[in-house]
Amino acid sequence: MTHHTTAMAEVRPATAAPPPGAGSGTPPATARTRRTLSRRVRAFGRGALPVAAFLLVLVGGWQIVAVRSGSVLIPDVPAVWSALTDIVTQPLFYDSLGATLLRVGLGFALAFVTAVVVGIAMGRVEFVRRFFEPAVLIGLTVPGLVWALLCVIWFGVSLTNPVVAVALSAAPALTLSIYQGTRATDSALREMAHVYRFSVWTSLRYLWLPSLLPALFSGARLGLSLAWKVIVLVEMFGMSSGVGYELNNQFAAQNVAGVLSWTLLFAAVLAVLEYGVLQSLERRLGRWRKATAV
Amino acid sequence: MNGAEATQAPAAGAQPYVVLDGVGKVFTSTRTGERETVFEDFTLTVRQGELVAVVGASGTGKTTLLHLVAGLEEPDSGEIRLADGTGRQRIRSPGAGSARNRLGVVFQQPRLLDWISVRRNVELALTSAGLDPAGAARALADVGLAEYADRYPSVLSGGQRQRAAVARAFAVEPELILLDEPFSALDQLTARRLRLLLQELWTARPRTGLLVTHNPLEAAFLADRVIVLDGRPARVRAEFTVGLPRPRSPEDPQIFARHNEILAALG
Repeated sequence: MTHHTTAMAEVRPATAAPPPGAGSGTPPATARTRRTLSRRVRAFGRGALPVAAFLLVLVGGWQIVAVRSGSVLIPDVPAVWSALTDIVTQPLFYDSLGATLLRVGLGFALAFVTAVVVGIAMGRVEFVRRFFEPAVLIGLTVPGLVWALLCVIWFGVSLTNPVVAVALSAAPALTLSIYQGTRATDSALREMAHVYRFSVWTSLRYLWLPSLLPALFSGARLGLSLAWKVIVLVEMFGMSSGVGYELNNQFAAQNVAGVLSWTLLFAAVLAVLEYGVLQSLERRLGRWRKATAV
Repeated sequence: MNGAEATQAPAAGAQPYVVLDGVGKVFTSTRTGERETVFEDFTLTVRQGELVAVVGASGTGKTTLLHLVAGLEEPDSGEIRLADGTGRQRIRSPGAGSARNRLGVVFQQPRLLDWISVRRNVELALTSAGLDPAGAARALADVGLAEYADRYPSVLSGGQRQRAAVARAFAVEPELILLDEPFSALDQLTARRLRLLLQELWTARPRTGLLVTHNPLEAAFLADRVIVLDGRPARVRAEFTVGLPRPRSPEDPQIFARHNEILAALG
């Protein structure tokens, strides 16, 4: 498990690494940071080049198809770009984005707390595992669309609606990975905690959470990806604000450039959250692993 | 080595500190449902201030014995009586809950939390025992790890990590020290150094201890009394009193004489 995450941590920053010299708060350039910088530049070249090539093919291909077809349903790249800049310059975008992120954040927090409690209990107590296993399996199979519809029906246009829908769609995946992480937690360390009489709090803080960290992050990734899908649906059907709601408006107005722009912007924000927040958090919390590599 | 400094083995009359009285323990395989009797009406006494070594081949229930005393396993029958510093007894028997003494345990593996510093590892054991965490620095200095206190365990060598585990076990001022094959995962030279370190710590502050090992020489060097165990169900095959004053030298021919006796009994 450890090897797996370290390998990922090595590969991932390639795409996320900032351009050299960015970041205003860089520490004084000692030999060591210079070394890591040049390593980052190389990694950036390795990781960013294929990504840039892909984007070039995508944008170029799109432009060719749009020009060839001449259809209003396939707006060309300049049209999408102008719609995009138009959206970004308006406060509506930030309001919608804020509303959506708040809903996802609250729902995800609810799912997270539930999953930590249930997942650890499932890993420790056989009865609890058997009790929740069907719920987790059902939760994993039910499409996000169904949660969205049910929550719209039950909770209407309140904040409860998106929060519960997000929690319901993210919790099963999170619970499953925390349960698996709990099973994998070293029984030798649990015995140590027992003989030295660690309190519940000390065990949770110093044994369980650090052991579960890789599982928490992989679960969080999966859970978040499901949460984004369901939040857009909920906002389409049952809310009067948010990214999903705006997407629906663009759809109703048959504004394809608008639909594309909102989608692209939403995806960009998600990428920033994934690479910027989740990954730097994971690296920060996994500092002790680096000590081994030095 | 002179008589003034040497500590004598505790008198045979010292009060019983750990008593396993008619203890039974049966394991049932979760897969096959097969029942394996590890202990049946097993009796063993460790007196106060005594370091008893239990020697036996693998599978004789040595580690289970240690787990029973540590409270990691509950006996199926019989009772385990543990005295505390004031002579009061705690009884652990089926259904009586799991009274535990303040323990210092050294396992075969160091069992340190890799994500916090060595010092923090010792501090957690101290605060969990209701002691001042400041004692961690002293405990680590005693085992020669003062410079490494703020490192992560993963940058330490195997021997250093085990030193940290020893520091943790002694730091909590335990009523009882349990040693489960403490040095058998280390190379010979490191193991020898750690045995000397353990003797040094023990001589400075004698406690009551139970050492489980498959190494007869380690038993002869460290223990006051050696019990040779036979397996399934476990029974005492032979018992030796080492009766040599501390500090002992690993080269002492008398140690080798004891070692040979134990080996012969293990047969």
